[in-house]
Amino acid sequence: MRVSRAAPGPEDRQAQNRGTDNGGAATGCAEAVVPARPPGRARAALAGFRAPVVWVLLAIAYFTGISGKPVDGVLMLVVAAGLAWDTGRRALRHPESESAPTARPAGRAGGRRRLLMVSALLAAGVVYAAVVGSFSRYSWPATAGIIGLGAVVVLIGWHGPLRDRPDGGRLPVAGTLAWIAVLVAGCLWELGALLQQPSLTTDSYTHPTISTLTDPVLATGPGRSVVLLAWLALGWYLVER
Amino acid sequence: MTSHEVTIAGYLVVLAGIVLLQVLATRTRIPVPSLGDLLTRAMRSRTGRVGVLVAWAWVGLHFFAR
Repeated sequence: MRVSRAAPGPEDRQAQNRGTDNGGAATGCAEAVVPARPPGRARAALAGFRAPVVWVLLAIAYFTGISGKPVDGVLMLVVAAGLAWDTGRRALRHPESESAPTARPAGRAGGRRRLLMVSALLAAGVVYAAVVGSFSRYSWPATAGIIGLGAVVVLIGWHGPLRDRPDGGRLPVAGTLAWIAVLVAGCLWELGALLQQPSLTTDSYTHPTISTLTDPVLATGPGRSVVLLAWLALGWYLVER
Repeated sequence: MTSHEVTIAGYLVVLAGIVLLQVLATRTRIPVPSLGDLLTRAMRSRTGRVGVLVAWAWVGLHFFAR
């Protein structure tokens, strides 16, 4: 199995750290000495908007906003703008490379220390799910809890994976297309149900969306806590990828 | 079948497709990547990584936040 990057030596790690610990602010002398000329700078800024993810986020921001969730919409807009700016900034500094996130140097936590850390995180996750799950849906305390944790996880992930992972090589094309077909079909089915509601903000029994179907579970405190635990576990799994 | 049942059946078909692909990926030699492999691949670039994590955060916002 191939590995995405060779194990760096001490010097390489130092060089990586100089480039990543400050979010790429101190990336070496060459960049500081040779500033980009204005046309290059403009191109780099625009490069951020060439990333399809930025446009997907902008679309989500728009549709979330008109669906009666302005807070979600504004947050998506902020992330889209931040990602476009960050991508453009990195393109300016490293125009030849795609912005692959760099794994942070692995900590030397021993088995016992890691066990303690995982136990503490698990306990914190259970407490978080119990507390935030006790709040009513769409209340300000629940909103603050979700936004706070979501922001922390996205910021942690923004700077790269927590540790190096095997590359895995090229994915089989047919199998990947099968996944894409199923996931896109799911999105379109949900979108179809959403558009057949009386309005974007009014639920329909005849054409229920996933949100409508999960309402009975999320109407109770224990139900919300269980779903929050699953959401937390998924977030941790993704941060580790 | 009512429209309600048809809609739910559609979700179940998609769910069954996801389970089937994951089983094919992990239990057989058929060349299908697992969902984990797919996510790892999608998260290899910074924009992909942020996009996936924001999608996760959006799910929480959508179901719980104002």
